[in-house]
Amino acid sequence: MSEEKVDLEGGVTRMEAAFGSGDGDEEATAVVASSEASLGQIFEQKYRPWKGELGPRWMRNYAIFRHHVYGVFTSKGHRQYHPMVRLLILVIFLASLTPIPMLFLSSLIGDEGGFFEKMWGINRYNLWGQVLGYFPRNLCMWPLLTAVVVGGMISDDRQHGTSAIYFSRPISRMDYISMKYLSVAIILGFVIVFSYFAYYTSAIVFKAEGWAYLADTLPIFLGGMLAGAILVITYTSIGLALSSISQSRFFAAIGFLSIIYGTKLVSLLVELQFDTTFMYAMSPYDCLAHMGQSLLGIPPNYEHPVSISVVSLIVMNSAAIWLLVSRVTSLEVTRE
Amino acid sequence: MSDEEPLSEAPVIIAKGLRKMYGPHLALDDINLEIPRGAVGILGPNGAGKSTLFKCLLGLITTTSGEGSVLGHDIRTEGEQIRSKIGYMPEYNALDPNLFAVDQVRYAGELLGMNSKNATQRAHEVLEYVGLKDQRYRKIETFSTGMLQATKLACALVHDPDILICDEPTNGLDQRAREFMLQTLNRTVREGKRSVLMSSHVMDDVQDLCDSIVMIHKGRIVIQSSIDDLVEQVDKEIELVIWGGASKMEKELSSVGLETRRLGRIIRVKLENDSTIDKALEAAVSAGVQVRQMKEYEPDLEDVFLLVMDKLGSQIKGTEDLMTAEHTGGD
Repeated sequence: MSEEKVDLEGGVTRMEAAFGSGDGDEEATAVVASSEASLGQIFEQKYRPWKGELGPRWMRNYAIFRHHVYGVFTSKGHRQYHPMVRLLILVIFLASLTPIPMLFLSSLIGDEGGFFEKMWGINRYNLWGQVLGYFPRNLCMWPLLTAVVVGGMISDDRQHGTSAIYFSRPISRMDYISMKYLSVAIILGFVIVFSYFAYYTSAIVFKAEGWAYLADTLPIFLGGMLAGAILVITYTSIGLALSSISQSRFFAAIGFLSIIYGTKLVSLLVELQFDTTFMYAMSPYDCLAHMGQSLLGIPPNYEHPVSISVVSLIVMNSAAIWLLVSRVTSLEVTRE
Repeated sequence: MSDEEPLSEAPVIIAKGLRKMYGPHLALDDINLEIPRGAVGILGPNGAGKSTLFKCLLGLITTTSGEGSVLGHDIRTEGEQIRSKIGYMPEYNALDPNLFAVDQVRYAGELLGMNSKNATQRAHEVLEYVGLKDQRYRKIETFSTGMLQATKLACALVHDPDILICDEPTNGLDQRAREFMLQTLNRTVREGKRSVLMSSHVMDDVQDLCDSIVMIHKGRIVIQSSIDDLVEQVDKEIELVIWGGASKMEKELSSVGLETRRLGRIIRVKLENDSTIDKALEAAVSAGVQVRQMKEYEPDLEDVFLLVMDKLGSQIKGTEDLMTAEHTGGD
C-alpha cells in the first residue's frame, strides 16, 4: 500500500467529522492509503520448450535409488520417512555400535583375557552374535529396522497411485523392483553389515593388532559378513514382498514382525513339546542363525543338518521374490 | 524437445488391426487409427477400451495382434523410447502427498533421465506454466483437486514431450479450474506445437480443445473424424419453447409428420425443408399453445455422441450417465 494525498475540496476529513474539530480549513487534504495493485495481467502463461537430452537407464535407476536412500538422511526433496522412523534407525545404528566403546575401554584398561575381552572381544561367538545374536539384535533391532524401512516402500505407491509416475515413464518393472530392493538392502546393510565391519576394524585399531591376527580372524570375519549379507537379502525379500501386497505400510511392518517372531515362537513351542528342532527350518531367523553358525565354525544349536536351513532360506527368498515380482507386475498405470 | 522442427503432416500415432485380449475377453478389436498432430479427443463409455488403448500406445502391454507406432516407434518393441517422448497425465491421483510440488515434478523429471539440476529448473518452469508458481513449496497433501490436476500436468510436461496423453484432465474441477486447465492444454497445442490426446466424458471440454475425435465402443472404433465434419452430418433442428401444453404440441407435430425430441417445454423439430417452420407454427395454432421462442438449434458434440450411442444400442441418455462421483467432484 502507498500513501496518497486526497483533495477534500473544502470539505471535512473523516477525523474532523468524527471529532467535530478543525473546521474552516479551506485547503484540506487527507493522507489515505491506496492499493498499489493495478488492473492488468499479473500472470503471463507462456509455453517454454526444453531442448535438453534425457539421460540413460542408469540415471533413471539412480534417481529411484537416491530418492529412497537420501530420504533417510533428509526428507527434503526425497521420500519422506517419519521423524520417529529416522530416530529409530539412528538409535538402532548407535546401539549396534555399542561393542566399539567396550573394546576401547578394554584396550584402555589393559583387560587382556578378562571380562571385557570375553564379552566384546573378537572371537567366533561374538562375531556371530554381532550379526545373528537373538538378543538384542535379532529380537529387537534388525526386525524392527526392516519393518520400518520396508513398510511403505511399495505399499505407498499402491496407496497413492504413484506407481503411475514410474511406469508411465521409461522405467521397467524390473528396474523398479531392483532399485527398491537395492535401496532397502543398502539401508539395512549400512546398519547391520557396516556396524559389523566397524566392530571388527575397531578391534584391530584399538588393540594395535598385526598381520598374524588378521590372518587368523579374517576368514571368520568374512563368514560373518556373508551371513550378514544373507540376512539383509532375506529380510529385504520378505519385507518387500509384504509391502507389495498391501496398500498399508502398517500391514507390511506388522506382517514382517509376525513372520519373524511368530515362526520363532511356534518352532520354540514345538521344540519344547516334541523335543525336535526340525520346525526351526520354517523360521527365517533360525535358518540364518544356523547357517551363520556353520559359516563361522561354531557348534550349531540345531539337530537338523544345515543343508535344510540353507534350502529353507532359498525357498523363502524365492517365494518372496516371486510374490514381489508378481504383485509389482499387477501395479496399474491407468487405474489403481 | 524439438520445437524448432517444422510440423510434419505425418500422423503421430498409427495403429493397424490392433487387437488386445485379456483371456477370453476382447478389450480392443481391429483398431485402425491415424492420429494427426494437434488435439484429439478419445471418447467412449466406461469399459469401452480407452485405457487399454492408452496402455497399448504407451507400450505397457503387449498386443494380441496387429501393429502400431507412436512417433515412428513400434509399440510392441520400443515402449521405453515411446514413454520418453510422451507425457502421461493419469486420471487418478498419482502424487506423493508428502512431497512439495516442486520436488514431485523434479522427481518425475529425474525418472525420465533428466539430471537433478535440469529437472529442478524445469520443475520451476512448468509449475509456473500450470499456474502453481506460488504453491511450489507447498506439500501436495494440502492441494485442492484443481492444484492436484495441475501438478499432474506439470509432471507430464516436465520433459517437454511431443505428445501429451491426458486421461480425464478436468475430473472434479470447478468451472474456473476447468477453464484454466483447458486454456493450458490449448496453449500447449497452439503455442507449444505439441499434440494432445485427451479422453473425457465432458463433451464440452473435448469440443473446446480438440479438432477431431476418436470414438470407441466395445473395443472398436466407431468414429474417427473431425468435429466439424461430424456436426455437419447431424440433422438440423429448430428449437421451440412451448407454453400451455407441450404434450399437445408434441402430438400435433407428430400428426403432421414432423420428427421431434422433447425436453420438458422445449421441443426440437427436425428441419426437413423450408415448410417445416410453417408446419410447426400451424401445429401450434391447432394445439392452442404459445410459442415463446423459436430458433435454429446448433448441434454439439454431445448430440453426436448420443446419436452414435443410440444407433449402437447403448442405453445412454446423457453424458452424465458415464460419470461417477470422481468425475463430478461428488456433486
